[in-house]
Amino acid sequence: MKTKVKPLPPVNLPELRQVGKPLRRVDAMGKIVGKTLYAADMFMPNMLHAKVFRSTEPHARIKRLDVSKARALPGVVCVMTNEDLPQGILVTDMPGQTGQRRRASSDTHVLAKDIVRFVGDPIALVAAETLAIAEQALKLIEIEYEPLPAVFDVIEAMKPNAPVVTAPNNIVSQYKVRKGNVKAGMEAADIIVENTFSVPFVDHAYLEPEAGLAWIDDKGVINIRVCTQVVEHFRSIALALGVPQNKLHIHGTMVGGGFGGKEDITVEIFIGLLTQKTHRPVMLEYTREESILAHSKRHPYQITHRTGVTRDGKITAAEITLIANSGAYVYLSPYVLLYSTGTATGPYRVDNLSIDSYAVATNNPFTSAFRGFGVPQACFAHELQMDDIARKLGLDPYELRSKNYLKTGDYGVNQKITTAAWLEETATRVLEALGEKTPSSGSIKVGQGIASYMQSYGRIMWFHDTSQAWVTLEMDGTVTIRSGIPDLGAGQVSAVCQIASEVLGVPLEEITVYHTDSALTPLAGTSTATRQLFMSGNAVFQAASAIRQVIIERAAQKLEESPENLDLADRKVIVKSDPNQYLPLREVIALCASEGKPLSNLALFKAPFTDPIDPENVQGPIWPDFTFGAFGAEVAVDTETGEITLLKTVACHDVGRAINPAAVCGQIEGGGVQGIGYATMEEVIVKDGHILTPSLSEYLIPTACDVPSTQVIILESGTGLGPFGAKGIGEPALTPAAPAIVNAVTDAIGVQIKSIPITPEKILSALNQNQNT
Amino acid sequence: MLPEFDLVMPENLQQALENLGQRNPGVVPVAGGTNLTVDMRSRRHTPATLVNIEHIQELTGILQEDDRIEIGSCVTIAEILKSPIIAAVAPALIEAARGFANPLIRNRATIGGNLADASPAADTAPSLLVHNAQVELWSKKNRRILPLDEFFVGVRKTVLQPDEIIKSVHVPKTNRPSASSFYKLGLRKADAISVASVAVYLEKKNGACGQVRIAMGSVAPKPLRAYAAEELLTGKHLSLKLIEEAAKLAAEASSPISDIRGSAEYRRRMVFVLTRRLLTHLAEMMELKDW
Amino acid sequence: MDPKVITLTVNGRKHQVALPPNITLLRALREYLGYVDVKNGCEKGDCGACTVLLNGKAVNSCLVLAWQANNAEIITTSGLGSAENPHPIHRAFADEGAAQCGYCTPGMVISAKALLDENPHPTEAEIREAISGNLCRCTGYGQIVRAIQKAAEIINKEGDAS
Repeated sequence: MKTKVKPLPPVNLPELRQVGKPLRRVDAMGKIVGKTLYAADMFMPNMLHAKVFRSTEPHARIKRLDVSKARALPGVVCVMTNEDLPQGILVTDMPGQTGQRRRASSDTHVLAKDIVRFVGDPIALVAAETLAIAEQALKLIEIEYEPLPAVFDVIEAMKPNAPVVTAPNNIVSQYKVRKGNVKAGMEAADIIVENTFSVPFVDHAYLEPEAGLAWIDDKGVINIRVCTQVVEHFRSIALALGVPQNKLHIHGTMVGGGFGGKEDITVEIFIGLLTQKTHRPVMLEYTREESILAHSKRHPYQITHRTGVTRDGKITAAEITLIANSGAYVYLSPYVLLYSTGTATGPYRVDNLSIDSYAVATNNPFTSAFRGFGVPQACFAHELQMDDIARKLGLDPYELRSKNYLKTGDYGVNQKITTAAWLEETATRVLEALGEKTPSSGSIKVGQGIASYMQSYGRIMWFHDTSQAWVTLEMDGTVTIRSGIPDLGAGQVSAVCQIASEVLGVPLEEITVYHTDSALTPLAGTSTATRQLFMSGNAVFQAASAIRQVIIERAAQKLEESPENLDLADRKVIVKSDPNQYLPLREVIALCASEGKPLSNLALFKAPFTDPIDPENVQGPIWPDFTFGAFGAEVAVDTETGEITLLKTVACHDVGRAINPAAVCGQIEGGGVQGIGYATMEEVIVKDGHILTPSLSEYLIPTACDVPSTQVIILESGTGLGPFGAKGIGEPALTPAAPAIVNAVTDAIGVQIKSIPITPEKILSALNQNQNT
Repeated sequence: MLPEFDLVMPENLQQALENLGQRNPGVVPVAGGTNLTVDMRSRRHTPATLVNIEHIQELTGILQEDDRIEIGSCVTIAEILKSPIIAAVAPALIEAARGFANPLIRNRATIGGNLADASPAADTAPSLLVHNAQVELWSKKNRRILPLDEFFVGVRKTVLQPDEIIKSVHVPKTNRPSASSFYKLGLRKADAISVASVAVYLEKKNGACGQVRIAMGSVAPKPLRAYAAEELLTGKHLSLKLIEEAAKLAAEASSPISDIRGSAEYRRRMVFVLTRRLLTHLAEMMELKDW
Repeated sequence: MDPKVITLTVNGRKHQVALPPNITLLRALREYLGYVDVKNGCEKGDCGACTVLLNGKAVNSCLVLAWQANNAEIITTSGLGSAENPHPIHRAFADEGAAQCGYCTPGMVISAKALLDENPHPTEAEIREAISGNLCRCTGYGQIVRAIQKAAEIINKEGDAS
């Protein structure tokens, strides 16, 4: 390897007792032995089974809808259509935590009213005594459609006379960036490189299809037990059901994978309505096919980069256009688009910059959040563009990158980088781990590729994000945490336990966490935006620290020591200068309790707050901070069949501080493999609005045989805004993987492929085209 | 949920055949259920009655005869994969079994089911075709043995009568030096439906190519042989040029469709590439290469 | 479609249950007998979340008709051990961080058990092959592979008991 590994700047990371250890996660054993009850795993007596009747047309007027035969079927208890809804408004905007206004255009109908806009649009609900009867009832629903002109392609949808999916002109969101002097920058360039890249619809393909159980309790409260990333939806659900917010109680379960697909409301309103109507418990469990039909997809994008560069590799200007396919409804498209706009140039400094971005409505499945939230698409484009520029200049891809990497204090697209930006540190370690390229042999060509990225963690700051946590030290010295965090499997609840364990000196196994309950646990905000460790980690840290202070102060009094000289560890208050001198924690707790000192604390952590930016020129702080890192891959391409074999994958991220290195490693490897799937095989193929990959037989995700074990390199700058200097890693883990794979394939075959997935056929046709030209 | 149906649980082959005869039509045998259950759930197939043949003694086991092996139709793919008898006679079938779906499916899916399902992508078909396999079909009234090549009619269509089941699959043995191989191209490395697959069987005779058979999957309405390519090679010394010509003829014999897994053009090209590759590989292995 | 009483021995416990013929083993286990540790991820054999040992072999319970399993021995992850008394595979999965969302885990554990029963010293490639019918969307498989390697070590040293 030519490139030298960049030495790490000095960091100050104190050795901790619990944090930084790869401890067994608190949720692990329950899941492994099968004790954890997911949303579909709890039944109730007298429970009804629900099914949803959905549109088979991409755009149509409902001429006639007759549910009378379904209603008449013995065993059917309830059939509902839009006419039967108390309110019927479905809020698809970000859940308002602090009362910010939602976009009016984002509201739609729970059940289609007159018009359906995509194949899968819900039209009617059935509740029946058995699942078989509910399924049968769906077949008895009669519907006649009057097809309406439909539009599927974003470019078509932007044309003046296009069929209107979202009024007035299908453009559901639009941003501009104008910075520096692009014209002058382009003139200063030695070459200008222009490319258009595209990425497809992608499904989350979590193993657990959406499910929920709803019932009304003795207080008249509608209870909904559901797998969701957002318990705060209880407010929108209450609105849809026409009940006060305090009559709607969400019991969030352990989520069998979310990745953004359970960020929007899924089954909640349907079962809420049916239980409201029937006064019986109602279960709704999507089949895999319905899951793929009903939930959001990752946005397809077309991204054009026009970049001016000097001969020695300095970017002088860039013009970027991003067009996202928003599908049939708005959902989170405006925010996804903002994320890709704000990271369109990637972790590179571009002073002369022009960006135009659009999210465009079509009669396709709707698109919304998916791990990375617009950044993987942007990263795919900027990292392929960087490699193409390097090729055109005859520079090493890393060398080109290193000349343009952002540094702390520099401005990205819109805001200043304020924490460590370890781009060279991560990329050079990836290169070192990749090592010398394996030699090609015959028709098998080997290539290596890397990608760098930056990605925010924490929500958009004008959402005024908060998280609350309630920590209690029990009389026996055990700890109870109550937090509304939804756990998607990333270790969200275990991480906050580990933090409390550190702060209070209580072993992890003596901490119990109650979580994800909209009524009984303090609201912690959404498990989205790589925010839970940052937000709820800090909230738990605050709450635990407040209790720690009470304990330490009381112990200081008793021991006649200064509080600064005391520490909490191993269920004891110890004297730092003489660890043999200590008080058992329980003794101090007893003292505090008898004196009425608080051993319980409800803390609220606030992210930095800002005001909304001007969409006409996206400038100013939007996100609290960024994570930086790199991914590398070595691939072997069979140039006769187009098949790809991954020989080696390496990921290196600065995670700030790894609270649980095993969990961090799991995020990095798992996210990387999702990126590998994105690069090599995943596509929800949609033709004229119809999904041609309706199940996991057609929609392929990587199996254990498709990927090598990723070499994970965890760096810790300690500069993050999370507890103990942690940054976020959930979404960033995925972002750079796909472009690194594609760059490696390009390196192997010498032809750039500009769209994913790079199926064997796509590789072969690229090779053929290259031969012909 | 599965649709409603009756399920008959016969204890022996005779009872099974009687049920298939009597309850006709709409009666279907079921063993591993890895295709049938899926088709019934999607309502692609809604038989009124299933006859469970999974545990019927006469349909299980791999028999060694002097001139052939007989694989009971309810022998699972996992059993095939572990069978030294099959490995000795039909190495291509072992390769097909290895790439067949995944271990969970292989523990249930049966060879009879894979053939009766008659998917153009049936993984065991090309290997069995190049080994000149025959199917033994039984009904209450009748027993017959057919070359596998005559068994398939079209997409999911066979000559199997509603009252008939596959009793066993016969794979002939040979004393002549021979080798076979199979390759399946899928969109991922495990648990994938084939985009194109090719099997080749080659015999060595007097230092040249003796009998040769080539078969392909997923590139026509049914798994099929590439007879013209075979003819070209028989009795010849195998040069790279000749192999390439044979591979071209094989590609020409295919009639693939375009679908979500690949275009017709790509599939045809893959028949060429895989045929060339397997022929080259076997020629090297058999020391038949003339280059 | 008349129900028939069948006998299923699940995790050593014998159940007699009346089922119509169109009930799969998956639904019988979950809905009739309460073994909700067996997960439903696709109901067509694509994902492996419903994997159980059926007379010692790992299968997709969604593709088996419950009647076909009459008199069979079925083992699920909760039959291998408990949180208080975990099986070596359970321990290794917990220690290696092999469970994230956990939805694929019960099936993954069973595929691991089937593999190690047959092959006590599997290579990494054999492990990957053995779990190739069990999709996992969270881990990227690395930690699962390492957990199965570790489980093999524990079992070879301490035996297979929980």
